[in-house]
Amino acid sequence: MPHPKTRHSLIVRLQDERNDQAWDDFVVAYEPFLYRMATRQGVPERDVPDVVQQVLMAVARSVEGWSDDGRDASFRRWLSTVARNVVIRFMTRERRQPSGGGGTSVIDLMKNVADEPAASERHRYDHELIVWAAEQVRSEFLETSWTAFWATTVDERRVADVAAELQITAGSIYMSRSRIMARIRGLIQDIME
Amino acid sequence: MATSAHNCDANLLHQLLQDSLSEQQEQWLSEHLEDCQQCRSLLEQQAGGVSEWSHVRDVLRSEIRLQVDRPAALRSTLLPVDRSSLGEFPPVSAELNIDDFAVDFLQPSDRTDVLGTLNDIEIHSVIGQGGNGIVLKGLQPELNRLVAVKVMAPQLAASAAARMRFSREAQATAAIVHPAVMPILTVHSDGQLPYLVMPYVDCETLQQRLDREGALSAVDVLRIGQQVAEGLAAAHAQGLVHRDVKPANILLEKGVDRVMLTDFGLARAVDDGTLTRTGIIAGTPQFMSPEQARGDAVDTASDLFSLGSVLYAMCTGRPPFRAETTYGILRRVTDDSPTAIPLLNPAVPVWLSGYIGQLMHKHSEQRLASADMVAETLRGGLAHLQQPLTRPLPAALQSHHVRPWGRLLLVAVCATVAIAAIVFRPKGPRSPENTGQSGTQASVAAESRVSDSPTDSTAATNPSAAATLPEAATQAWTTSLDEDLNQLSAEADTLLSAPLFAE
Ligand SMILES: [Zn+2]
Repeated sequence: MPHPKTRHSLIVRLQDERNDQAWDDFVVAYEPFLYRMATRQGVPERDVPDVVQQVLMAVARSVEGWSDDGRDASFRRWLSTVARNVVIRFMTRERRQPSGGGGTSVIDLMKNVADEPAASERHRYDHELIVWAAEQVRSEFLETSWTAFWATTVDERRVADVAAELQITAGSIYMSRSRIMARIRGLIQDIME
Repeated sequence: MATSAHNCDANLLHQLLQDSLSEQQEQWLSEHLEDCQQCRSLLEQQAGGVSEWSHVRDVLRSEIRLQVDRPAALRSTLLPVDRSSLGEFPPVSAELNIDDFAVDFLQPSDRTDVLGTLNDIEIHSVIGQGGNGIVLKGLQPELNRLVAVKVMAPQLAASAAARMRFSREAQATAAIVHPAVMPILTVHSDGQLPYLVMPYVDCETLQQRLDREGALSAVDVLRIGQQVAEGLAAAHAQGLVHRDVKPANILLEKGVDRVMLTDFGLARAVDDGTLTRTGIIAGTPQFMSPEQARGDAVDTASDLFSLGSVLYAMCTGRPPFRAETTYGILRRVTDDSPTAIPLLNPAVPVWLSGYIGQLMHKHSEQRLASADMVAETLRGGLAHLQQPLTRPLPAALQSHHVRPWGRLLLVAVCATVAIAAIVFRPKGPRSPENTGQSGTQASVAAESRVSDSPTDSTAATNPSAAATLPEAATQAWTTSLDEDLNQLSAEADTLLSAPLFAE
């Protein structure tokens, strides 16, 4: 985890201790995604930690907008939505005026954060999330397992052909590709809660 | 393969995705899946609905298409490496050649029944060897004493850090005199190859026992666990953290009940802040604490987590966190909850699995207080199992202190069901060799959870533990399962109605 110490200093103390914990858990799950997202948006390496901090601050400062809807994990679900909207805002800005030195301000990121983003923007966000999760999961599996997953799921090649080529059994391909899929879902779930 | 449809077992599919199958089960399932279209479809549905498979596929494909326009640094690292490089796995570390070793290192002996001598020790045989070195059995004729000699591997002896670790092991262990800690008699750290001399004990490691027998009875789990906790308490009293508590470092003396903790090579003084960062390459990831896996500072609570993992392995026959790579294991140690013990071995008393859950708390400050207290509690639990009428269950093991695994698990499964519906927007019914309907996803997953109940679980049960399982415990588990199932449907409703990502 790149900057575990920054997370407590970011946020005004929440009234509810449970929500403090929810915030910490959320940042732990979300921060790695933010780093990767910022890098992939073309933010220069030295500015990435600042950008991540700004996004997290924008989410944290939007805490005032939260009201308990009485359902389970209300705060956490709200955080996920706000974070998504802040990130979408950041990505949209970044596309229009790529940052030469982390010029995005927290206030800008917070603008209209409650508005539901357009479908195309949500699609871009989903895309980044799934690509990130897949990158993470890849490092947890052997190269052969990943290759078999890619060949049979993404390239839609026949399992028997791929098994012969990789000199593994078809059964092991059925098993590992489903495990990979379940892990990708699991990581996304950690963020979406 | 002679597998046929009536052997189908949906539990195994679910457990595969939880990484909780034994090697034999995985082998069987792998062969079964080749023959059974029905199980293949079911497995894919459990891993993700039709729309999720196609959504992930579409995203990964478009990512590769988009990559062409991106600078190299911004591209994802998703594409498999070139096929031609697949064969080049790193070589398995070469084992020592015993003959070369004897010639190079031991002084020749006139006697034919002796491999050679090492200063005052006649070396008789090789007990074991591994990447770190070799363990020899020898005799000190003057003392008429059998000894075990642990010699550092030549490739390690070249490293100053490894030599330092070796002499640290000797120093650390010398400070702890306890029946549950294997003593070190002498250390030679400045020769060609450093070596340690320990008393010879006819024993096997807990790892060897688990490999051979699988899950142990609750009585054995408590008996072994209690002694390991005592050994740790002795180390902690000296201000030392063991940092590498794992079944391979726990010796079981044959024929008697004695258990000894060994290998203090990674032990550190609690306040030795300079060395914390080396944690990641040091210990064994499967039994590491989350703070150790992250490379954070560790204290005695880290050993308690590892002890919890060892208890878990004894109860279930497998380590709590598994993955194909070291990195994968580290991630699981820090991020995941292990599969609930009752699902893997319903014979384990609920109070024991609950207590293990407390030891394995992700946040070190919320683990149990001390190794001393753990030893005392396990001792009390053992007495209760052996004499349930006269020895009540210790307060620390009674249900209101124990966090139920079942509840955690259910919430996780429930969230999985819901997320299937929430995160992935349906696009088109495409999935690899899959004829399922996306709408059936939630019910399939929910059903598979129901059939996971301990009464019909296929997890290996241990007869001797089953014999000692208190009836009330079984009942408690069944009751809490019912409650959890009610909660499952309630929480699934809540999650399904959440606005995130819904169209
Ligand atoms: Zn089948």
